[in-house]
Amino acid sequence: MSNLTATSFFSRWLEVLFNYRKHTGSWAWILHRITGLGLTLYIMIHIIALTGLLKGETAFNEEMALFKSPIFLFGEWLLGALVMFHSLNGVRIALVDFGNGARFHKEILTFVYILGVLMVTGMAYLIFLH
Amino acid sequence: MRTYKFYGSRNTGAKYWYMQRISGIILVIVLIGHYVLMHATPDAGHTYRAVLERMHSPFWKGIDLTFVTLGLWHGLNGTWNVFRDYTLKPWLSNLIQILLILLGLTFWFIGLNTILKF
Repeated sequence: MSNLTATSFFSRWLEVLFNYRKHTGSWAWILHRITGLGLTLYIMIHIIALTGLLKGETAFNEEMALFKSPIFLFGEWLLGALVMFHSLNGVRIALVDFGNGARFHKEILTFVYILGVLMVTGMAYLIFLH
Repeated sequence: MRTYKFYGSRNTGAKYWYMQRISGIILVIVLIGHYVLMHATPDAGHTYRAVLERMHSPFWKGIDLTFVTLGLWHGLNGTWNVFRDYTLKPWLSNLIQILLILLGLTFWFIGLNTILKF
């Protein structure tokens, strides 16, 4: 145990992770987890960013102008994709837990992916071309 | 036997499981409104004046408070759920929980400070 370095621990963890057979639900679980952690980080950044309101009108408007730059718009789209997957899959989880969703959870997941891709494409139109 | 029922914990976690779903459902509903207003309609106003005007109304204040509170709680409880999937020593488990609570309280107060200033 003492010679187990952080690197070998991490590679062992990855080995275990990749050797499990993934079914449809496993991928949904992995994506839900990654997007969830990303969104938690984002809400904190969002809270910090909006403290710009306390710095007065010019400072806040300059900050908003920065968020209109192409790189931030791309980030907004990426964020939209995370939000879209997490909320659609979250609705699926609620249906499985509270409704009769366990019988149709794979079909709902297909619906989540199709609707998600459509909505994220629509978002790209609104963000980049509108 | 009773003590070992939930891995030695007195807490079943059922309450938190339930609250995670309820907060998630509320967040989805509020988020639809947020997206339509802030992202789908560029004319909605992202300037200082427009934001302040919204911030002065109790309705938007309520929406923002809901967002900050439920969003942080849902996110950090979700983060704790990730840690819970791994076998943790009791001291590490307690340390992570304390850090997550402190993180949540810090950002909650920063958020409240911004919302309630106007």
